[in-house]
Amino acid sequence: MTSGPNGPWGAVLDGHSVGRRSGWHATAEAERGQEVADVDTAVGTAGRAATGTRIDLDGVCRRYRVGRTTVTALDGVDLHVDENAFVVVLGPSGSGKTTLLNLMGALDAPSAGRIRIAGRDITAAGPRELQRFRRRTVSFVFQSFNLFPGLTALENVQFGADVAGREDAGGLAADTLAQVGLGDRVRHFPHELSGGEQQRVAIARALATGNPVLLADEPTGELDFRTGVQILGLLREQAQAGKTVLVVTHNREISRVADRVVELSSGRVVADGPPSAGRADVSELHW
Amino acid sequence: MTSRLMWLRWSWRDLRQRWVLVLAIALTIALGTGAYAGFTGTADWRTRSYDASYAKLRMHDLRLTLTKGTTAPAGTLRRLVAGIPSAGRVRAVSERLVVPTQVAASHGGRRILVAGRLVGAAPAAAVDRVHVYAGRQVAAGESGRAVAVLERAFARHYDLPSSGTVRISGGTPVHYVGQGSAPDYFSPASDSGIPMIGESGFAVLFVPLATAQRLAGAPGRVDEAVLTLAPGTDPSTVAGQLERALGSGPTPLSGTVTVRADEIGYHALYEDINGDARFFDIIALLLLLGAAFGAFNLTSRVVEAQRREIGIGMALGVPRTRIAARPMLLGVQIALLGVALGLGVGTVVSRAMAGLLTDLLPLPVWNTPFQYRTFLLAALLGFALPLLAVAWPVWRAVRVRPVDAIRVGHLAARGGGLAPLLRRLRVPGRGYRQLPLRNVLRNPRRTALTSLGIGAAVTIMITVFGMLDSFDAMLGDSEHEANRGGAGRIVAQLDGYHADGSAQVRAIAAAPGVEGATPLLTVPATARHADGGSVSLIVELRDLGAGGWRPTLTAGSLARHPGGLVLSEKAAHDLGVRPGDSLLLRHPRRSGQAFTLTDSRVTVAAVHPNPLRTVAYLDRSRAGLFGLAATANAVEVLPAPGTDPARLEQTLFAMPGVAGVQTATEGVDALREGVGQLTGILDIAAGVTLALAVLIAFNAASISADERSRENATMFAFGLPVRTVLGMAVAESALLGTLGTAAGIVLGQGIDRWMVRVQLARTMPEIGFDVTLAPGTYLTALLLGIVAVALTPLLTARRLRRMNIPATLRVVE
Repeated sequence: MTSGPNGPWGAVLDGHSVGRRSGWHATAEAERGQEVADVDTAVGTAGRAATGTRIDLDGVCRRYRVGRTTVTALDGVDLHVDENAFVVVLGPSGSGKTTLLNLMGALDAPSAGRIRIAGRDITAAGPRELQRFRRRTVSFVFQSFNLFPGLTALENVQFGADVAGREDAGGLAADTLAQVGLGDRVRHFPHELSGGEQQRVAIARALATGNPVLLADEPTGELDFRTGVQILGLLREQAQAGKTVLVVTHNREISRVADRVVELSSGRVVADGPPSAGRADVSELHW
Repeated sequence: MTSRLMWLRWSWRDLRQRWVLVLAIALTIALGTGAYAGFTGTADWRTRSYDASYAKLRMHDLRLTLTKGTTAPAGTLRRLVAGIPSAGRVRAVSERLVVPTQVAASHGGRRILVAGRLVGAAPAAAVDRVHVYAGRQVAAGESGRAVAVLERAFARHYDLPSSGTVRISGGTPVHYVGQGSAPDYFSPASDSGIPMIGESGFAVLFVPLATAQRLAGAPGRVDEAVLTLAPGTDPSTVAGQLERALGSGPTPLSGTVTVRADEIGYHALYEDINGDARFFDIIALLLLLGAAFGAFNLTSRVVEAQRREIGIGMALGVPRTRIAARPMLLGVQIALLGVALGLGVGTVVSRAMAGLLTDLLPLPVWNTPFQYRTFLLAALLGFALPLLAVAWPVWRAVRVRPVDAIRVGHLAARGGGLAPLLRRLRVPGRGYRQLPLRNVLRNPRRTALTSLGIGAAVTIMITVFGMLDSFDAMLGDSEHEANRGGAGRIVAQLDGYHADGSAQVRAIAAAPGVEGATPLLTVPATARHADGGSVSLIVELRDLGAGGWRPTLTAGSLARHPGGLVLSEKAAHDLGVRPGDSLLLRHPRRSGQAFTLTDSRVTVAAVHPNPLRTVAYLDRSRAGLFGLAATANAVEVLPAPGTDPARLEQTLFAMPGVAGVQTATEGVDALREGVGQLTGILDIAAGVTLALAVLIAFNAASISADERSRENATMFAFGLPVRTVLGMAVAESALLGTLGTAAGIVLGQGIDRWMVRVQLARTMPEIGFDVTLAPGTYLTALLLGIVAVALTPLLTARRLRRMNIPATLRVVE
């Protein structure tokens, strides 16, 4: 892999920019055979053809000092995620799932081991490079949404497009909101939206970045079942549209829709493979 | 008991957890209450000190002064006093001879030549005693010799030794053996009646009566008597008797009788206390308000942060009183800390004020006790303030349904306020550029409190600097008027009345370096108008129709009212007259060798812009009105090109018949210096203001950084650099600063207008002030209110850089 004109992340960004230049492409709803009520399932149709990015973790450890005690959140994790994969990281509370997500998103640094995204070692990158990585390669969906209360739904989504440096951020934001079924709520502030709507805005914000990796931390944690299913449908479509999607959850039922399930316990990978009960469609989920 | 201790410990932990914020609140309260106590407490000890000082030196109750330039044989005035009906109420009388002179006190290579006065009185006079601070009193045996006590403020200003030699008009050496002051000269006033002329421009020499008589060439003569009265005596009754007695003796005399309350120096000092008290009350109140807004804002935030815990308590069925106890205990602890620090700030401000005033005024008694009552009031305010600030959000918090209070994001996801009103208003540029404006609008209460806190500080700054601007403008106008068309003019005061063609006048005109000399006549007078009060004037009779310097006329015309009086704008305003109106002028008139007071009706011809109220002009053709036709008591000299004015002053100073030499602007210079000394008080107010404004701004920025931590973490998660996030915080602070500064400027202009038009007019009625706010003052307000406030978020840069992003993103409200 060669380094592109954008510095250490040039390779990642080169791939990213190819996707940008190629514009939006249609993915027929019928092709995916998915149908989730109240959600414009045609996200993929307007979604950007961002090529997913390979993620490699080798012997990653993360230890914290809590007073005089050292807590090991991750202990020698080896994980390799292919492009365009929809991976669910499963585990009970305290198993290290969120820590893993934070490390992959360059929000945190490992105590040991190596993390490579698209072949580049982010553990060796400086703060500016990591900022650039977050702007151009990953995007987040948080459990508690973390929308900006002072911005409307449209402006929150536009924020994502803006920071990623996308042109016509306003138009892109409007399109993306329409794709997640909120075309009529664009001028609403977060406190005027329901929890499910807020999470859809958060997903739209992540999608508007056009970044190839989407990291979602308990995205359905604060939502009711029906809304949670809608959100999972949206995320699943992103993987089908070419992104690498990692969802962290403690809900085993959710893992049924994944291509691959990585199970953590006490900071270690205890299982890794396709869903044990077989892969299901989002419409088949119950919890 | 255990339960109570647990709640107390809990609130103590709250306090320790937010110790920076708690300290900031306490400091804000301390600055407000401390400045309030420190500033308002000065009035009491100043009054006590003045009273004690005047009592110690037996300040006169009445002063009888003969018309300028006239004297009477020693004993005449004492006999006159003894002959009035209330003579039995007179406790003591002292005759004096007060001689205007010039004092040359060049020292350490510095040329010092200023206007001055010889005050000759009996060494052991029972009235208006001289208090010596350094050196010694003039001994009884030194009577008649050229030995004096030099006025202390002047000596200290020029750092003169405690004894030495100065020269007076005519080049006569006078040896001073000490530095001291007398009650009339605690706050020296110039001949034109302007108080606070500045210690640098006026030198008084306290000499034995015989010495003054010898140096003035008036042996056995006096021109003044000072009296003290028995307690309970009405001074105005005795004054009336003295005025009648002046004109009714075998040899009629002309003169004036002044009661103590009308003495300019005395009046100015006490009026100064009242004026300062009103000024300080406003400044202190504004500081307190600013602190209140700041403290309210901060404390509210601390309690807001506990609202979820309050909700949990409510959900668990804890009584509301107990729920309220924890934040209220926190409020009590903040209040106690604020009061303790406030006492410290108050003591510092009080000591600074005491140091400044004792330095400014050479009083023999300075009594500056700790002002318990003022401090107690300030402490009560300081205690009540945070408790009120806590009570309000607690009251709001316990009214929320528990289910709402415990909901995650109950506070975080709010975006109300005024933001929805402006959803269509977009700032150009990227989406996140909307955030600063939206953040300001979505919490109008906090925005208002922060802005008002900053606004209070800007208000004080505009008020304080606005007053200085008005002083500056007044001095500038005065200087401009004096210099206009005749820069470098020098006025030589003569030692009496001389014919225009006298040897003294001719000698001055012929002195080397003199290009032109114009005889002048200056006489004191009092102008009265039927619809107005009375105003003391120094009427300068000069040739208003010929070349040379003439006053600018801002209204009226000498051609229309030839021979009319030209008044200052301030005098015309105070008398309620306009050009064309007539008024009654009470003035001395020479009859033989004596003067009598007489009333003449004169027309107001025009007004001039000199801010000094006493300055008035008449054409010399009207000198007959005073019985002084073709007579001069001063000569205006225009230096020849290339002549060193200082050298010419020295030359004139040494000539016989010359009592004093001054440049036309020296009075203004002295006034400027006097004003300069007073700005020290304003500097203290400005210092406290600056500290408060920066503290409020820093606290607001700190709160914003706390409250926006999750938003900031989200921005970082999306890859925004710290500088962009900081830039948004700076923009938000700048918006708050702009709102506060705008409010402060509007309010400050109003208060400044009131201070200048009402307070200064009352404290210094002899000076006409225009309300002036210099561009520099606006610039300073903008720098403090917007730039300094906008930059305070930069102080949180380190916190942002070190933010634990994952932990912050997962923080649950």
